[in-house]
Amino acid sequence: MDSADNPPIPSESPSASRRRGSLERWNRKLHYYSGLFFIFFIWLFAFSGLLLNHSSWTADFWTHRKETTHDFAITPPGSAIQGDLAQARDLMRQLSIDGEILWTVTRAEPSQFEFQVRRPGYYYFIKSDFVQKRATVREARVNVWGVMRVLHTFSGVQMDDPRNRRDWPLTFIWAYSMDAVAAGLIFMVLSSIYMWLELPQKRIAGAIALALGTIACSLFCFALRWIS
Amino acid sequence: MKARFYNTVRDLHLYLGLFISPFVLVFSISVFFLVHAWLPKISSTNAVTRVDLDIPLPGDLQNLSGRRLIDALKPSLEKANVRGEMTFVRNQVKENKLIIPVMIPGRETTVTINTTNHEATVVSRETGLADALVTLHKFPGQHLSDLRMNWFWMKLWLWMADATVYLVLFISVSGLYLWCVLRAERTIGYVLLAAGSVAFFGMIYGLCR
Repeated sequence: MDSADNPPIPSESPSASRRRGSLERWNRKLHYYSGLFFIFFIWLFAFSGLLLNHSSWTADFWTHRKETTHDFAITPPGSAIQGDLAQARDLMRQLSIDGEILWTVTRAEPSQFEFQVRRPGYYYFIKSDFVQKRATVREARVNVWGVMRVLHTFSGVQMDDPRNRRDWPLTFIWAYSMDAVAAGLIFMVLSSIYMWLELPQKRIAGAIALALGTIACSLFCFALRWIS
Repeated sequence: MKARFYNTVRDLHLYLGLFISPFVLVFSISVFFLVHAWLPKISSTNAVTRVDLDIPLPGDLQNLSGRRLIDALKPSLEKANVRGEMTFVRNQVKENKLIIPVMIPGRETTVTINTTNHEATVVSRETGLADALVTLHKFPGQHLSDLRMNWFWMKLWLWMADATVYLVLFISVSGLYLWCVLRAERTIGYVLLAAGSVAFFGMIYGLCR
C-alpha cells in the first residue's frame, strides 16, 4: 500500500495517527506472513477440494490400489487390556501398524475382533481371532490421488458417527493444522478488507466486487431456503 | 511495462480476492465444525409434517435406478411442492414405500411416498446456518457422484466452489509474485515460506510414511 493512499485524518492526534499507521503496517505484514506460511497447505486443500468435487477425475484410485494380505501370530490382549480401543492399540503395536482406528464393525463374538486402521495412502483391514491367536491384515495402498483425498478429510471424527474419536497423535496434529489454516484464511480475508478500506481510490470497484461475492454467497447460505 | 504488469496483478489480487472472500469464509468457518464434528445448537429442531395426496409416480418405477430414478421422480416432488437436491432414493418394495431425502443448505426434508395410494408424507426441518455451511462445504462430495447435482442451484454451487478454488490458486500465486517484488519483506518471507514448507512436508511425511 502506498503512503499516498492513506490521507491524514485532520482530527486525529499524533499518537492515534502513529497507532493507526502501526496497525496498518502490521496488518499488511501479517497478511503476507500468514499467506507465505500457509501457502502449501492452501494449495493442498484447494487442489484436493477440486478432486473431491470431481470424484470421477480420480475415481480409479481405489481400483488401482495395491493389496497385500498377511497372516500373523498374535498374543491375545490380556485381561488388563479392556475395551475395543485398548485392544486395537495392543494389536497394532504387535503388528507394527500406525494410524487412525476406524470403527465400522460390531463384534459378533468376543473372541473375534475386526477393525480398520487408516492413514493417508494406507488402509488396513484387521481381523483377529483371540482363540486361534491369529490376525489377518489386509493392507491396501493407494496412489497420490487417493492420498490427497484422504488428507482433505483426515480429521479422525465424523459428524454422523460419534463412536469415531481421534486416537492417533498425528491425526490430532493434522486436525489442528486444518484449524490453523482455516483461521489463517479468515484472518487473511479480514486483513484484506481492512487494507482495501485504506485505499480510497479503490473503494467503489472493491465494494462492487465484495457485494457481488456476498450476494452470490448469501444466495446459497440463506436465500435458497426462502425462495424454495 | 513491468510497473503496469505489477499494478494489474495487484488490482486483480485485490478485486478477485474481495469477490471470493465470502466463499472463503464459508469454507473456512465450516472447517471448524467438520474437523471437530460439532455444530452449534442454535437452529430449530422442530420438524413440520404435512401430507400430500395424488402424487404421480413413474410407471416403470421398479425398473429404474440411479440417476434415471432421480430424474423420473422430479415431477413427484414438484407435485408435493418440495424443492431441493435429492440425496438418494430408498425404494422399500415390501413396505410399498419410497423414501427420498431432499436437501437445501439449512433445511432437511424427507419425502415418504406410499406407492400404493400415492400419498406423500413430507417432514421438513430447518437445520440452521452452521449446518448450511457444512452442507455447502461437503457438496457434492466424493460419494454417489452419479446422483449428485440433480437440482439447478446445487449445480451452480459446484461451479462457484470450483471458481473459488481456481481463484484461490490465482490469488496465492499472484500474492507470491507481489511479495517477491517487495524487497523489504524478502528475508522474513523466505523464513516463513521455509517454516511453512517444513511444517507441511514434515506432517505429510509423518502421516504417509
